[in-house]
Amino acid sequence: MRTLPAVFAFAAWLAPGVCAAQGEPPTLRPYDTLPDWSGAWLMVGGTVFDRATQTGEGGATSVGVRSHPPYNAEWEAIYRSHLERRDKNLFPDTISNCGVPAGFPRHFNLPDPYEFVVRPEQVWVLTENGPNVLRIYTDGRKHLEDQWATYTGDSVGHWEGDTLVFTTVALKGFRDKDVILDRTGLVLSDQSRATTRIRKIDPTTIEVQMTIEDPKALTRPWVVTKQFRKMPAGTRVYDYGCAENNRNPADVETGKTLVIGPDGKPLNKE
Amino acid sequence: MRTHAPLVGAFAIITASLGLAVSVAAHHSGAGFNSDKVIELTGTIKEFQFTNPHTWIQMFVEGDKGARVEWSIEWGSPNSLGRQGIRPSTFPPGAKVTVRLRPMVNGAPAGGFVGAKFPDGKTVGRWE
Repeated sequence: MRTLPAVFAFAAWLAPGVCAAQGEPPTLRPYDTLPDWSGAWLMVGGTVFDRATQTGEGGATSVGVRSHPPYNAEWEAIYRSHLERRDKNLFPDTISNCGVPAGFPRHFNLPDPYEFVVRPEQVWVLTENGPNVLRIYTDGRKHLEDQWATYTGDSVGHWEGDTLVFTTVALKGFRDKDVILDRTGLVLSDQSRATTRIRKIDPTTIEVQMTIEDPKALTRPWVVTKQFRKMPAGTRVYDYGCAENNRNPADVETGKTLVIGPDGKPLNKE
Repeated sequence: MRTHAPLVGAFAIITASLGLAVSVAAHHSGAGFNSDKVIELTGTIKEFQFTNPHTWIQMFVEGDKGARVEWSIEWGSPNSLGRQGIRPSTFPPGAKVTVRLRPMVNGAPAGGFVGAKFPDGKTVGRWE
């Protein structure tokens, strides 16, 4: 409901700097003025991270399929080595053994429902798959100068109208070989960071546009856009206990994705 | 038993390029399954593992000479299937059923679920 007090509060929010100039906490955007992103949402298309540059037919595990990020020669070679292993089912998906988050930017490249929880001080992007949580602080805080790297990094942002704009830093990338962007073997370095814009472009579509920079791996900023379609009203989102009955672990020795038989032994080890 | 040969008497193998979507998407993909081939098995449900990250239908198939082989048939996540109306009771233990699946490329008794048909004509998944 758009109440009159909320309108006045929104007007106050549009005049930034007054409180900050007096050393007080920044004014949060009133809840009633925030966009409605409620419900469950499903990513449009498959899990090839950059479908706009995809070549090859099929999904991320199909032989020959790849994206074309603006890699420098060194990281293009790394990606090609991953693609060769993927073609032989020897490139392990880092989340196949159910221990680590998908990380950023893969957070926006997952199957199963998403929820975008909008609050004045913070936005949460929840994924059933994983599950994973991306926290985006909109309370005026800054990135820590000495923030250590994590899978999902540190995200702070602000609202530009009904568009959420945020930066994500302190990412592990492929430093420890446990964050990838998709199952083609797409990766970024621990120098990667992103500026992301999220907005609802029509009543049933949320668009996420990421501008990714990586001075170690990329020759220029890489813009990737993902869309999410609203699921039917009343859709439920559930547990995702990855380790409950994981019969497709990655072989730690070869990287091969295994199929575990009823006796607990792999059916395709050899 | 990891070959189809002993089972020929018990079920008909149909090889098809039906263009059916791979049933197992998302978390781990259908690694090891033959995306160009669909076979049909008739057997008895042992167990429907309605579990994360993927569901598995365990089914006994009688081979020639009385041999019984347990097949493992992988399907989607319980969450995704549950939203489509599938329940743990969809494949009750002891039920007779005919299942279509994409078999493993190495001939092991496992595959990716395509569809199933019960003796009363009820179908589950894709059964055109």
